[in-house]
Amino acid sequence: MNPSRPNGEDVVVEDGGGGAPSPPLIDRTDLGLAIIILAICGYLYWVTTGFDKVADLFAQDVPPEFFPRLLIWTIVVLTLGLPFEHLFLRKKGKSLDEERASRIQPIAYKTAALLLTIVASIPWLGTTLSMAAAGLTIPVLWGERRIKVLVPYAIILPSVVTGVFSYLLGVHFEPGIFGS
Amino acid sequence: MEPVIQGLLLVLDPFNIALIFGGVVIGVIVGALPGLSSPMAVALLLPFTITLDPVPAICMMAALYCAGTFGGSITAILINAPGAPPAAATAIDGYPMAKRGEAGRALGMAAVSSVLGGIFSLVVFLFAAPMLAQVALKFRPPEYFALTVFALSMLATISGKSSLRNLIAGAFGVLLGTAGIHLTTGVERFTFGFYEMTEGISFIPVLIGLFALGELLGQSQSLKVAYERITSIVIKLPSREDFRKVRWTILRSSFIGTFIGILPAEGATVAAIMGYNEAKRWSKNKEEFGHGAIEGIAGPEAANNAATGGAMVPTLALGIPGSGTTAIILAALIMHGFRPGPYLMLETPHFIYAIFGAMLLANFMFLGIGLGGAKLFARITLIPRQLLWPAVFVFSMVGAYSFASSIFDIWVMLVAGMVGFLMKRHGFAPAPLVMGLILGKLVEESLSQSMIMFDNNWFRFFESPIVNGFFLMTALGLLWPVIGPLVKRAFGAIPRAP
Repeated sequence: MNPSRPNGEDVVVEDGGGGAPSPPLIDRTDLGLAIIILAICGYLYWVTTGFDKVADLFAQDVPPEFFPRLLIWTIVVLTLGLPFEHLFLRKKGKSLDEERASRIQPIAYKTAALLLTIVASIPWLGTTLSMAAAGLTIPVLWGERRIKVLVPYAIILPSVVTGVFSYLLGVHFEPGIFGS
Repeated sequence: MEPVIQGLLLVLDPFNIALIFGGVVIGVIVGALPGLSSPMAVALLLPFTITLDPVPAICMMAALYCAGTFGGSITAILINAPGAPPAAATAIDGYPMAKRGEAGRALGMAAVSSVLGGIFSLVVFLFAAPMLAQVALKFRPPEYFALTVFALSMLATISGKSSLRNLIAGAFGVLLGTAGIHLTTGVERFTFGFYEMTEGISFIPVLIGLFALGELLGQSQSLKVAYERITSIVIKLPSREDFRKVRWTILRSSFIGTFIGILPAEGATVAAIMGYNEAKRWSKNKEEFGHGAIEGIAGPEAANNAATGGAMVPTLALGIPGSGTTAIILAALIMHGFRPGPYLMLETPHFIYAIFGAMLLANFMFLGIGLGGAKLFARITLIPRQLLWPAVFVFSMVGAYSFASSIFDIWVMLVAGMVGFLMKRHGFAPAPLVMGLILGKLVEESLSQSMIMFDNNWFRFFESPIVNGFFLMTALGLLWPVIGPLVKRAFGAIPRAP
């Protein structure tokens, strides 16, 4: 299946010839990624060694660590191919580097940190106020400065959501310090 | 015949019609908004529907699924930004048509092709699902194990750039599914001291996190992207001449889309790309493609909507999701206490026909809504990202929390979102992980039961011809990237390099 460009022409797959520099055998980004995945697998395998032991008769020859270990080994085998995959993708005219060529922008880190803070504040602020905080702070972080838009938005959004979930669907929300 | 009538009567209940209508409207809006996707919307809808009866809940999701696939074409045609990945191929010819003042004709063709593709696949669904369920009744644990392994191997070909990464994500999903108490022995696995994890990782927060929060973090990096909009739109139904031009394209793409949809794990995006490529291959006007060919809209639109009905076949008949969105619908079925698979067909056939009826109704509804409201839906893209995505976060937070009233689930959603963001950046699609997570329990249970049946002798798997068939298809599927070019070369499709 040959993908098409927006102008409709089929993408012509270059074979790496014609003077184009040959790619390195190992993609360094994918090597790093593979090492991280293998480290996670190593850790998870170590966790499986701590599973409670049960008698073979009770486990019916399928101990609790059997299947997770099978999966971990499968992931390890597949991951070993990651650093070399770019060679195969290149032959097919694909590349993963466009999306990760640029660094993750600071705004993404800031957004992630803000989301963590909002979720961490739920036990204190309660769900509704945390929603209001989200409705106010995320737009501000993302560059919205119109007070006339922000304030009604931060009030209406949590009110509607709380109304629908709490009164219509019967969900009990965390009351937080103001509710206790 | 009685279950069919019973099922259709269920759909015609005014409350259910209202929910289906709501699902269609949400679906078209979500489909039209770049960044928001059907799987995300269905995942966010899941907590809402938990309090509903199963029939209206699943019907609403199925309606959203159909309409969301179509909705993507609106923005693909009008602003060259496909609202959803399955509409990417539609933009190739849809946007050039819109630029030369034929946006209405393009939208009309997209709507009609989508409806025809959708109806074609639903007719297939109506007949294929019961037949497949009858076959699946003969399946024992070894056959189920082989089927799930085959379904997981199909993740290699799901949309996304890398087969290898899809397989790794799928395997990680299955591994996540093993968290909690082991059913056979009662041993706790991967709970890391959290009592909330003893029953395993809940699907909802993971689904919402991967699809919604991962995208939110991605969107934070593209706040300044602006779209060029086509404003003058007068929707036109396809003329007789247009119909004559595209009738075989629609039929061919409907067939392709349905077939791709039925394959486990394959979804509308693959179907649309194939529909487009086949439309071009069979067209007498190949040179028009990319410059506004009407067949270039009919092909992918008929195919991607046909994939929705097709994807429901393995989901309901076998309990194996046909696409990312149907994986979430499958999760919803499980949460409503159903056992998807042949017994669902046997014990509650009216339920299956109700879903069929809901999807049929949804197709007609989005034809009307799409034709009448395209201009309005295109304006939805004017909502600033700064206000749209915080709302998505709020809904995600409440959605993750509301199922078990647990803050722990919000943390799970947040972690899943961050992992999803990093996964996407490195070429790992979220859908394989979700499918792995949902299939995980079934894979392990069927493997354990098989090993007990076979007295721990692996070779006895090969005694069953069905198992051998699935294993053969799995091997072929996994090795296809290697043997495919050799086969094509043998048949002269790829010229040998000089």
